[in-house]
Amino acid sequence: MTEPRAGAPCVELHDVTVAYGRRPVVWNVDLTIDSACLFGIIGPNGAGKSTLVKAALGLVPLVGGEVTFFGRPLSQVRSRVGYVPQRESVDWDFPVNVTDVVLMGTYGRLGWFRRPGDRERRLARECLDRVGLADVATRQIGKLSGGQQQRVFLARALAQQADVYFLDEPMAGVDVRSQERIFRVLDELKAEGRLVVVVHHDLRTAAEWFDRVALVDRRLVASGSTAETLTPDNLRQTYAGHIDVLDDVGRAIAARERTP
Amino acid sequence: MMSIVLAETASDPGFSAIHAWAMATAAVIAASCGLVGTLLVVRRMSLLGDAIGHAVLPGIVVAVLAGGRAGGPLVFLGAVVAALVTVGLTRVVRAAGGLAEDAAAGVVFTSLFALGMVLVGFAPPGTHIDAACVLHGELAFLPFDTVPVAGVDVPRAFLVGAIVLLGLVVSVLTTWKLQVFTAFDPAGARVAGVPVGLITMGLLAATAVATVASFDAAGAVLVVAMLVAPAAAAELLTRRLHWMALLAMLLGVAGGCLGYLAAWRCNTSAAGMIAVVLGVEYAVAAVIAPGDGVIMRLVGRARLSWRVVCEDILAALWRAEEAVAAPGGRHVSAGRLPAAWWLATSGRIERVDGGWRLSSRGRREAENVVRSHRLWEAWLGRHADVPIDHLHPPAEWVEHHLGSAMRERLQADMDARTADPHGREIPPEA
Amino acid sequence: MTWGDLSHNTLVVAVGVAAVGFASGVVGSLCVLRKRALAGDAAAHATLVGVAGAFLVTGRRDLVTLLVGAVVAACAGLGVLVLVRRLTRTRDDAATAIVIGVSFGAGIALISGLPAWGYPGSAGLEQFLLGHTAALTRHDAMLLAMIAVGAIAVVAAILKEATLVAFDESFASATGWPVWVIDAIVVGLVAVMVVVGLPAVGAVLVTALVVIPPVAARLWTDRVGTLVVVSGVIGLVAAVSGVAVSASQSRLATGPLVVLTASMLFAVSLVIGPRRGVVARRLAGLQRSDRRGLVDEPGGHDA
Repeated sequence: MTEPRAGAPCVELHDVTVAYGRRPVVWNVDLTIDSACLFGIIGPNGAGKSTLVKAALGLVPLVGGEVTFFGRPLSQVRSRVGYVPQRESVDWDFPVNVTDVVLMGTYGRLGWFRRPGDRERRLARECLDRVGLADVATRQIGKLSGGQQQRVFLARALAQQADVYFLDEPMAGVDVRSQERIFRVLDELKAEGRLVVVVHHDLRTAAEWFDRVALVDRRLVASGSTAETLTPDNLRQTYAGHIDVLDDVGRAIAARERTP
Repeated sequence: MMSIVLAETASDPGFSAIHAWAMATAAVIAASCGLVGTLLVVRRMSLLGDAIGHAVLPGIVVAVLAGGRAGGPLVFLGAVVAALVTVGLTRVVRAAGGLAEDAAAGVVFTSLFALGMVLVGFAPPGTHIDAACVLHGELAFLPFDTVPVAGVDVPRAFLVGAIVLLGLVVSVLTTWKLQVFTAFDPAGARVAGVPVGLITMGLLAATAVATVASFDAAGAVLVVAMLVAPAAAAELLTRRLHWMALLAMLLGVAGGCLGYLAAWRCNTSAAGMIAVVLGVEYAVAAVIAPGDGVIMRLVGRARLSWRVVCEDILAALWRAEEAVAAPGGRHVSAGRLPAAWWLATSGRIERVDGGWRLSSRGRREAENVVRSHRLWEAWLGRHADVPIDHLHPPAEWVEHHLGSAMRERLQADMDARTADPHGREIPPEA
Repeated sequence: MTWGDLSHNTLVVAVGVAAVGFASGVVGSLCVLRKRALAGDAAAHATLVGVAGAFLVTGRRDLVTLLVGAVVAACAGLGVLVLVRRLTRTRDDAATAIVIGVSFGAGIALISGLPAWGYPGSAGLEQFLLGHTAALTRHDAMLLAMIAVGAIAVVAAILKEATLVAFDESFASATGWPVWVIDAIVVGLVAVMVVVGLPAVGAVLVTALVVIPPVAARLWTDRVGTLVVVSGVIGLVAAVSGVAVSASQSRLATGPLVVLTASMLFAVSLVIGPRRGVVARRLAGLQRSDRRGLVDEPGGHDA
C-alpha cells in the first residue's frame, strides 16, 4: 500500500470546471498537490469546496478539464483513494452497526460477491481502535454521538488503506474531543507518507492544522504553503471576491444551454 | 358485458341522450379532479392522491353497508374520514417506525385498500358494490340511475359530480391566495400566519370528495390518472398557477369526452380509455411544451450550435484580419460552408477572390465575440489562479454566452485594462 | 373447499406461494433500504397491459406467456418513468402517479375490450387484478417457486453491494462501485417479484407484498442480514395464510387477504417489535429516565 510513486504528483486538477445541472458552480481550477501533507481546501459556505472534491472523485461530472491521481485517471487507482463524505449525507437510522460500516471500507478491495473474512474483521477492529471507538463496535450507528459518527466514517476510510484521503468537512458539528482525535489520526496518516485533503471552512483552525491550503470561492483564488497563501489580500479575494459575476455568467449559460 | 349494454342502447331511442349524459358526467368529474390535482401536483403530493384514491375504499364500503347510497352524503363523509385517517395513520406509522414517508404511506394505503376489498367481499348481495367496479368503475351504467330535476331525468352521478365541481371551484376560489402562498412557500406561509395545516387538511378532504364523485365512474385506481395527468400536462404548458388550474380542468374535460368516445368506438371500458387519453394528452404536452418541451429543446440546442459555428467563423475572420492587416479573402473549412453561406446572405461576410471577408456589420459582431473571449481570459487571469496557458479553452466556451451587460461588468471588474493576459488588445464594445 | 380437498396440487401451490412470499419480503428489503419503496408500484400497475397484450398477440393464456408479457410491460413502465424524468420537468411523484394511472387504464381498456373483440376466453385475465391462486396449476406453482428461489439467490449474492449503495451512495460511487448497475439489479428484481406475485396478489396490491414485510421487519432488528430474513418470513406467513383463508372463502380474492395478513403482522410488530416498537420505546424511555445522569445521552456530545 505504500508502493513507491513514480514521481507523478499525488493529485492534479487540470482546468476543472464543475456544473450542477447546467449551471457551472466551480470554474477552471488548476491545482497540483505533489507530496504527502495535510492539505486544506478553504473557502466560505457555498464556495463549491465540496463540489470540487466530489468532482475530483468522479461523483459529480466535469464540464471541462481532467483529474489525475499519481499521473493516472481515477478509475485505475481507485484503491489508493479514500473518501470521508459529509456526515449528513447518510441515514443514520440505517440498520447496520459500527463494525458493519467500517467493513465497508474493505469492500473496494474485496470486489464483487466476496464477503469480508477474518482478515477484514481484524483490520476493522484496528481501525476502530485508532479512532478510539473499539468499545462501541457492535452498536447501531444511530445511537452514536455526532463526533463518534464522524470517527466511524474516518475508521471506514482507514480500512480503505489508501494513499490519498479526501475528507469533506470532517470537523463540522463535532465535539472538541472528537476533533482532536480526528486531527491526531490525520497527522499520523501524514507521518506515514499519505496525502490528506480536508475540506474546511474555519479559517482560525486552518492556519494551525494544514501544511498547505487552497483558497476556493467558485474559482481557485490561491494555493500554496499555509503561511504564504493565507494573506489578507487572498482572504479578501476569497471571502469578498467578485463572485457574483461568476454566478451571473453561470446562470446565463444554464439558461441558454438546454442540454441535460 | 359492455357490448351488450351498448347494443341495447343503440336500439334505444334515448341512445344519444344517454351518451351525452355519460360524457357530461365524465367531463364534470374530470374537471373536479383536474382542479384538485393541480394543487396536489404543485405541492408534490401526487402520490398522496394515489394513496387517497385507494384508501377511501373502506370508508365508502362502511358507509354503504351502513345504509348510505352511492353519491349520498354518508358515502362522502365516510370517504373524507378515511382520507384523513390515512394521512394520520401514515404520520403515526412514520414516527413510530422511523420510516421514510413513501414506505409508511405504502404500508397504510395498501392495508386500507385491502381491508376495503375484503369488506366488499362480505357485502350482502344487492348493495351495488362489486370488486370490478371498485377497481375501474363503470361509466356506462351511470346514466340509468336518474333523479328528476325540473321535469328532466338527470343522472344522479352527473348531478353529484356537478355539485362537487361547483363546491370545489367555490372553495378553491375563495381560498386562492392562501393556496398559492402555501404551494409556493409553506414555511413562509406558516410564518405569515396562514393556517397551512388547515389548508392541507382541506386539500386532502377535497381529494377525497373528488375521488368519491369519480368513484362509480372510474374506480379507485384510475382516479389517480384523472388527478395527476391533466395537472402535470398543464404544468408543462404554463408556469402560472391559475392558468395551470384552468388548463388542467380543460384537459380533464377534453380527456373525459374523447376517452368516452374512444371507448364507445372500441367497445371497451370508458374509464380505462379516459386514462389512456389523459396519458396521451400528457405525452403531447411534454413534446410540444413551449420553453422546455422536447421539440423546443431540440430546436434550442440546434440554434445554439448553429450560433456557435457562426460566431466562430466571424471571430476567426476577425483574428485573421488582426494578425495580417491585408484585406484579402480568407479560407473557411468545408464543414462550416453552410454557416458561411448563411452569414453571407445575411450581410455579415462577403466573398472576395476565392475567400471570405467580414462586412462592417459582421466586423461589429465579431468584435463583440472576441471581446467576450478576451475579457473572460483577462477576468480569470486577474481574479482566479489559472495558469496563462489554460485560459483559452474556458474562454472559447464562455464567449458565446456573454451579453453586452455582462461584458460591461467584467470590464468594470478590471480597472480599465485593455489587454488580455496574452498581451492582445481587447476590442472595445461595438 | 373443505379440508378433504387438500390434494397434492393444493400443497404444491402452497409451497409455490410460500416461496413467492418469502422472495418478495427478501427483495422488498433491498428496495425499502434503498428508499425506493414505491419503485415497484408503477411496474406493478403496468403489468396488466402486458398480460392483456401477451394474450392478444399470442392468443395463449398459459401463465408463462402472460408473465413474459407482464415482465416486458413492467420494464416498459419503468422505462417511461426514466424517460419522463430525463425529458420533462415533471417531478418524480407526479411522473410515477401518471404511469400508475395511465398504464392501469390501458390494461383495463384492453381487458374489458377483449369479449367485444371476439375473444371468449379472456375472462380469466381479470384474476390478475386482485390475484386468484385457485386457478394455479402444479406447473405454474413450481415455475413461480423456481423464479422466487432464483431471486433469493441473486439477493444473497449482491447483499453486500446493495447494502453499501443503499447506506452510502457517494462512498460506494467514490470507491468505484457502479451504483447504477446495482440499482438496476435491485429494480429488476423488484419488477420480477411484482410479476411473480401477480397470480397470488394481483396488480393492484402486489406492491404491498414488497413494502410491508421489510417495514415490519425493521421493527425487529438493527442488522441488514437479519432484516432480510425476518422480512422474508413475514412475507411467507402473509402469503400462505392469505391463500389459505381465500381457499376456504371462495368469495374473496387472494390479494386483499394476503395484504391484510401482512398489515396485521406489521401492526403486531409496531406494538411489540423489540427494536423500535411502541412497547420497546416505552421501556427504553423508562430505563433512560432511571439512568439519567449516569450515562451520556445517545446523540449528544460524548464526554
